[in-house]
Amino acid sequence: MATETLNQIWKFTVLFLSENVPLIVGSVKAVVIAVAIMATVPMLVWLERRLMGRFQVRLGPNRVGPLGLAQPLADTVKLLFKESIIQSSADKFLFHLAPAIVVFTAIVGFAVIPFGAPFEAFGQSIEMWGANVNSGILFVFAISGMGIYGMVLAGLASNNKYSLMGGLRASAQMISYELTLGLSALSIIVLTGSLNLTDMVKAQETVPFILIQPLAFFLFYIAGVAETNRAPFDLPEAEQELVAGFHTEYTGMKFAMFFMGEYINMVTMSALVTLLFLGGWNAYGVPVWPIVAFALKVGFLLCVFIWLRSTFPRIRYDRLMTFGWKVLLPLCFLNLLITSALKVI
Amino acid sequence: MEIATVFDFAHDTVIFVVGVTAVLASLGVILCSSPIYCALYLISHMICLALLFLLYNAEFLAVVQIIVYAGAVMILFLFIIALLGGKKEAPENSFHRAAAFAFVFVMLGELYLLATVGPTQQVRGEIPAELFGTAKAIGIELFSKHLVVFELASVLLLVAAVGVMCLAKFSFTLIKKRAR
Repeated sequence: MATETLNQIWKFTVLFLSENVPLIVGSVKAVVIAVAIMATVPMLVWLERRLMGRFQVRLGPNRVGPLGLAQPLADTVKLLFKESIIQSSADKFLFHLAPAIVVFTAIVGFAVIPFGAPFEAFGQSIEMWGANVNSGILFVFAISGMGIYGMVLAGLASNNKYSLMGGLRASAQMISYELTLGLSALSIIVLTGSLNLTDMVKAQETVPFILIQPLAFFLFYIAGVAETNRAPFDLPEAEQELVAGFHTEYTGMKFAMFFMGEYINMVTMSALVTLLFLGGWNAYGVPVWPIVAFALKVGFLLCVFIWLRSTFPRIRYDRLMTFGWKVLLPLCFLNLLITSALKVI
Repeated sequence: MEIATVFDFAHDTVIFVVGVTAVLASLGVILCSSPIYCALYLISHMICLALLFLLYNAEFLAVVQIIVYAGAVMILFLFIIALLGGKKEAPENSFHRAAAFAFVFVMLGELYLLATVGPTQQVRGEIPAELFGTAKAIGIELFSKHLVVFELASVLLLVAAVGVMCLAKFSFTLIKKRAR
């Protein structure tokens, strides 16, 4: 009797697995992408600290391990074992929810980023993306828009005036710059006639869009830096005036989760710029694998992020808003108008 | 023994769970006393609606739902709550009576709708299957058949925006005069 039931379960499992191959492949890909993207965060922190050191004519962390490479490991262990302090006046549920939203949206946003051409393996076409969503670029914008909630809720739940100010600034800044981001991407959408990110890469096989749309590239990159709350647009967490803004009250791993979200968003934004403007995995004659070409481009853009941080002073808040609404947005509209007019003619 | 195909069942279950969550979240919007949590319930309700769109293959609608409602509109709600301070409201005495009345009227309305609409039917149209739910299909529909209506609606929105500006300005000057 028992063996018969076991047999039934075995048959059921085999049938289920053979019927749902896409489901299994998708789950494996999801796990691989999520783990890989989270593993890049400590390395990115190391890269940032080393590069910042060089930019500021000092050494940076170089004691723990060769070239200081074990420093991120040590930092992670330290953050994991730190005591988590929640002040009694905070809203406990929202206080816990906020960093989770930040990390979750950051990882989900990366799910639709394609990072290589599909290839054949084990008789099946393996595609180098988590999901090929038809309106992929809109999906990324939607998810990154949801990420703002993490910061606003952290500000609201902390019951601290600096946190509240930081949360307010985060929401205002990200709403303002999301417009620029979307509109500059729209000129690329007009050129390719598709919302799909793989279609956009295919459209750049001969020439990357940075040469055709240089203005859109700069607008998108500036808005991207503002969207990820990186210096010189890190007003929500300005250390000198807001005492680190929305994550003032956070300690230990919850504090680290905000940073994880920020760094993953940086990678996603660099990947988006690569896909939209730098030709994705097209190597343009350089003999490297598509995925290596993609990784090199993303790595370069990440270095530019760090470069910007260490060379530009922070902008004043009202100037930031003026810059976004009165300079970037009109330029975006102008660029879009000209692009669509040329497309129609 | 025949084993039923699992996938359809799973699909239906997911739709059911998401739908029930949407209803529960909308109940939370009405019943919760703290404005922050109300806004959060509304956000989760909208995300559930987007998931439902996604489960019925309307990909573009789902993404737009998240960008416009869950992303842009609700962040403004939270912004205002943060500015005004999210204090809990004291429950009013007439709340239960109002809730009961509202419930009865909603049920009556539902019954009336059910009687007029009749059983649900499949969507019929000329949209080819591979385009269904994409931005292209919606664009073709909007800008060919419904162009006039679409443009009229956009004009209406513009009028509303200008009207809001006028009203806000008007009341602002009134308050200023009173203060003098």
